[in-house]
Amino acid sequence: MATSNAGRERILARIRKARGHEASAAGAAEAIFPLIPDPMQRFLAECEANLTRVHRAVSNVQSAAILSQIVSELPAGAIYVEDDPVLRRLCVSIEERKILLSSEGRAPEDCVATLTLCDGLVAQTGSILTSSRHGGRGGSIVAPTHIVYATTDQLLPDVTSALRLAARDTERASYIGLISGSSRTADIEKILVQGAHGPVRVDIILEQR
Amino acid sequence: MSRLAEEFLIAAAQKSADLTHRATIKRNVDSYDTAVAKGKLRFADWEAARTYAARVKGEAVSNLAPLLEEFERKIVARGGHVYWAETADDARQYICDVARKNNVKTVVKSKSMVTEEIHLLPALEKLGIKVWETDLGELIVQLRNEPPYHIVTPAMHLTREQIRDLFQQKLPDDMNGESHQELVAAARRFLRRAFFAAEMGISGANFLVADAGMVAISTNEGNGRLTTSLPRVHVVVTGIEKVIPRLEDLGVLWPVLATSGTGQPITTYSTLIGGPRAEGEVDGPEEFHVVLLDNGRTEVLADEEQQELLRCIRCGACLNKCPVYRSVGGHAFNTTYPGPIGSALTPIVNGMKDWGHLSYACSLCTACDSVCPVKIKLSGHLLENRRKYVSEGDAKTSEKVGFSVFRWATAGPRRFALLGWFGRKITRAALAIGMSPHALGPLASWTKYRAMPDVPKDSFRALWEKNDGNF
Repeated sequence: MATSNAGRERILARIRKARGHEASAAGAAEAIFPLIPDPMQRFLAECEANLTRVHRAVSNVQSAAILSQIVSELPAGAIYVEDDPVLRRLCVSIEERKILLSSEGRAPEDCVATLTLCDGLVAQTGSILTSSRHGGRGGSIVAPTHIVYATTDQLLPDVTSALRLAARDTERASYIGLISGSSRTADIEKILVQGAHGPVRVDIILEQR
Repeated sequence: MSRLAEEFLIAAAQKSADLTHRATIKRNVDSYDTAVAKGKLRFADWEAARTYAARVKGEAVSNLAPLLEEFERKIVARGGHVYWAETADDARQYICDVARKNNVKTVVKSKSMVTEEIHLLPALEKLGIKVWETDLGELIVQLRNEPPYHIVTPAMHLTREQIRDLFQQKLPDDMNGESHQELVAAARRFLRRAFFAAEMGISGANFLVADAGMVAISTNEGNGRLTTSLPRVHVVVTGIEKVIPRLEDLGVLWPVLATSGTGQPITTYSTLIGGPRAEGEVDGPEEFHVVLLDNGRTEVLADEEQQELLRCIRCGACLNKCPVYRSVGGHAFNTTYPGPIGSALTPIVNGMKDWGHLSYACSLCTACDSVCPVKIKLSGHLLENRRKYVSEGDAKTSEKVGFSVFRWATAGPRRFALLGWFGRKITRAALAIGMSPHALGPLASWTKYRAMPDVPKDSFRALWEKNDGNF
């Protein structure tokens, strides 16, 4: 590969030659955003605003029933599932469907939905913190529907907290992301349209823990 | 006047008189203004957020070398490649080499102004490689053979009807209606095939995070996610100024970018990528390259006065607020980056002689300063550019003489009164003998679209004294 270090050294030399202004670290970000007195309430409100559907459950059995309900609303086709014991148990409720497990390979082009875990949920923006460990990079983007199974103890107050958690993962995952709603665009006359390229629909099954 | 300056004036005059264009831009910008005003209310203190963002980016600009080295170290440790490109040509050459070695036939590209800057698409297409823009706005302008009109909303200048006609002509097999939803669906159908067929994905970067060694990419459509997940090779092309020190800084920078860019709390897909598919992962590219581009950025850095321009996070807020951009549109500038930030940067990077005229595409209303989320004093840089343009560039002799006289006259009240008296006499005499105002120097441009008012006999000071301050 043409990794010319001559260019590297010349660029770095020019940078070092330039006189930078005195600059200090930015300091604390706490005063910038309002306090979030009730993170769960805020999370639910943000999800509603960004068109993510949140289904609350109090037990594993109820989560499985919700999954079955969501899947019954989807067109025919395979469901791609992150290979994890918890999700395998949930999938018993959709055994009539063709299930493809992430341990067998990447999410195929024609799967109708994907089911994954996540690393956290963010109250401030109604986001899902995910990474390539959860069904790979495609697990959250390839299918028209992305279903996430999460528990209430995964709720984080804000984006900064999510980034602090993500920082622990940067050695292990090649991709980390915050997903805040379904794929969307407003490129034509600023009119919002869902489902530009990725999921048209994002469902979170949120189990009490 | 340079050829480019003349072209700018012609294009600007044409666009300003195009009422359909003005109505389209007004509708877009009004909708943007409403969303941003609402978005700012989500902050406890928007000014504190701007200060924080400005300090993070300022810290980065002052420490570019160690931060870029730290970023590089981490990317390489994960199996990625980092290439330092001094010029657009270097960057193009490297990316073309990567494509050739991987026998690439199709590329999907996520929105990136840097790829526009280095004219990457023509270079790849010369090799017989088909490149598809995957951001909807970018795809639209690509199908029209146009450059992006705006750095965030590339097809801002087009109506739904124009896009419908374009898709009917270019994507007939994927069309199934003409509503906004159906047009987006047509592009989705068309691009989905491209995503799954492409061997290479090319993206830009919104930020390069030094301590995590990861590239941050924000898209709403998810095209960035697909571009960086599906193809076998992923190439990131980015300017060296995009580096920031810490992952945690994104806790403010992501919301600030999204609010200034579109009024959103955060962009739908705020993504971090640190390398190729890691061990144990089920997918992701096998090869990962980051091209760090200089292409004049170190010249901006070398200018102590103007290096703060490198803080720019390309949110487009200054374009949306600029009355000149809103009148003449994005294409009249004929630059990769239009509007205030483009007018400030382009002459420094591409040459004052050819591009200095853009510094005058500004009414000095300072609206851009007030909206910039990283507090760049854009109007100050445009003034600084004008000073350099006059001393180094292609300013007209008549302009130099005119301003010398003006400077002399404004240095004392008597001189000012004398200049006023002389100006009134000359103008009245010229108009009295039937001369057109179009022939009268500075009045020519002003009277092109306006009636010439009567020139008073007396000065303002004389009228003030005569009427005892009552008008």
